[in-house]
Amino acid sequence: MKKSIGILTLSLIILTLACNRKEAEEELAIDNPELPLSIPKGFPPLNEAFYKNKPTKYGVELGEKLFHEKRLSGNNTISCASCHQQSKAFTDNQAQAIGIYNRVGLRNTPPIQNLAFIKHYNWDGNKRQLETQPLVPIITHEEMNSSIVEVMSKLKVEKDYQILFRKAFGDPEITPDRIYRSIAQYEYTLISANSKYDKVKRNEGIHFSDTELQGYQLFQAKCASCHSGELFTDQSFRNIGFPINPSTEEAGRGRVTGIREDYMRFRVPSLRNIAYTAPYGSFGQFKTLEEVLDYFDKGVLHANNLDPILTENGNRIPMTPKEKSDIISFLHTLSDETFITPR
Amino acid sequence: MKNLTNILFASALSVALISCDKSDPSANNVTLHFNNTFKDKTIVLGDANSTQASINTSAAGQTHQFSELKYVISNIRLVKTDGQEIPYNINDLDKGATVIDHSKASTLSYVLSNIPAADYKQLKFGLGVKPELNTLDEVRFPNFYNTAGKNDTKMMWEWGTGYRFTKIEGFYDTDKKKLSIHTGSTLDGKRENQATYVPGVDAYRDITLTLPEVVLVGKASTVIYVKADFDKLLSGTTNTITLRSGTGPDDNATPNIHTADGMVQFVDNLGGNGKSNQSGMFSITHVKN
Ligand code: HEC
Ligand code: HEC
Repeated sequence: MKKSIGILTLSLIILTLACNRKEAEEELAIDNPELPLSIPKGFPPLNEAFYKNKPTKYGVELGEKLFHEKRLSGNNTISCASCHQQSKAFTDNQAQAIGIYNRVGLRNTPPIQNLAFIKHYNWDGNKRQLETQPLVPIITHEEMNSSIVEVMSKLKVEKDYQILFRKAFGDPEITPDRIYRSIAQYEYTLISANSKYDKVKRNEGIHFSDTELQGYQLFQAKCASCHSGELFTDQSFRNIGFPINPSTEEAGRGRVTGIREDYMRFRVPSLRNIAYTAPYGSFGQFKTLEEVLDYFDKGVLHANNLDPILTENGNRIPMTPKEKSDIISFLHTLSDETFITPR
Repeated sequence: MKNLTNILFASALSVALISCDKSDPSANNVTLHFNNTFKDKTIVLGDANSTQASINTSAAGQTHQFSELKYVISNIRLVKTDGQEIPYNINDLDKGATVIDHSKASTLSYVLSNIPAADYKQLKFGLGVKPELNTLDEVRFPNFYNTAGKNDTKMMWEWGTGYRFTKIEGFYDTDKKKLSIHTGSTLDGKRENQATYVPGVDAYRDITLTLPEVVLVGKASTVIYVKADFDKLLSGTTNTITLRSGTGPDDNATPNIHTADGMVQFVDNLGGNGKSNQSGMFSITHVKN
């Protein structure tokens, strides 16, 4: 009898333990909902990669933390946000990006904005999915000078990351893919569509000033054939005769395709938040918007593959001083203050 | 007791016999030995002022010399006399690919192990990395990533997140202008999938070399002596190239060759054009059975 009581107690204990365990597991089961994104009206279609990696609550939280993580660099001094600073619409105000040990990169840092709607990334479009992009700065000698295995080994020992990877992906394992996917998810959420221009368009009771309106009309006539649509880019690659980067590494789109006609062609940049992202051009050739417009007005460099829109106009876009200042007033209406302010 | 001793003795004997019977594993080794030359002379590397460095003259009359010379070999296959192809770890860069670095003697020999005993008539390999494997995947292939990527090797293309296939540094013309020729693939994704396809250059070249005599694997370790004649770089079967310095689309002596169709000319000379020419600069001088 005594024996059976013993067994009974034992099995009870086991049962309770088992129950406790189940309870604990339930507690651990995480609710990681998809984040609804509000897609601004008139924006181009989403990049197809988005549908395979939709932002989730914790995926984005993890991505944001990784974006600001200096341990992604070899000597723990540079994060993505060192070059992509929110207060400057995720650029750095440098002519050419400055990375680890103050090494100078080849190109100017572009803003990280509305990238969910972009088909080709970087100045030359050599990446088609945001998920395949983060490895480039991590391994690049002039940027973060690290390796993905080195990064994983640094993150693995951090309790915060173990928790966040589990919340975002169901278990604490850190893989290259999860790092890339979460960073991309965060970038997908960086949507800028709350500028004065947007408010005017949405009829929110705000109006352009006279100069802004004139600038807008001039822009439609002189610029919108390339800087078209709600992102102010048709996402094509063009050579518009900007001064040429002296580095022999540079060939624009030609570096990727190996096609002669693509030599020194660059993706038409979005002009949203342009007032925050000086200097301008693929290697920061121009300090101000005035300099860009003066250059167009005086005449651009000739090239065999110079865009027909320029060759048909004697290699220039002529503008009077008044027209230039009107266009610049308009460009300032593309500034989205909420976008550059931390949430 | 005596019985036990007998049993023990017998088993020891049989173990010994079995291990003796097991043939020397190196009999199934095939060593590929690479000799990098200008025509018939092994290249001596050197900087611009070197008095030792080999100086070659191209068909177009340009003198040139190298200070650095590296290339990637992968996708190695041996073809039996009956035509059957034996792949050597062709989908594992850690076990089946190598960086030949002319400045490091140890890299000039690459040992293929456990090759099935048979008679072989052809050697096939790739100059570079085939598109399916040409992404920098450090987790999957840590050894190759580290051989190719470590500081002194620099055989990866950071921006394209793929490998460099050839890296040649040196000087040309009597005024010793800098020459820097890098090749590698820039394309990504598949044409069928327009949303992810990055159009670009496929710089991978498949090489087929017929062995001058049959290689007999299984009896003793064998060596295949491969000659890589870098005279072909400028004076190839496909193209005769004149080097030019500058930053224009036709200036091919600097790394911007990998941006222009200029790169393909070098690639075709080194690795063949994949059509009429399947050997490029490679040939087999002899084999050791
Ligand atoms: C040293 C400065 C620097 C660092 C650090 C850096 N970037 Fe960049 N980023 C750049 C530059 C410069 C470019 C343009 C590259 C090109 O066109 O070749 C760029 C381009 C991009 C683009 C493409 C934008 C577009 O408009 O197509 C994305 C996305 C991006 N970076 C994300 C990241 C992420 C994520 C990290 C961290 C893992 C990071 N960057 C780290 C400088 C930097
Ligand atoms: C033929 C097409 C085309 C036209 C027309 C055009 N642009 Fe551009 N724009 C481009 C391209 C392509 C670039 C990037 C070129 C480069 O960096 O080499 C660019 C760059 C710029 C930049 C620098 C952006 C940055 O982030 O660095 C500004 C500002 C700009 N354009 C404004 C204008 C304005 C204003 C007009 C009208 C007066 C105009 N563009 C007309 C194609 C065009």
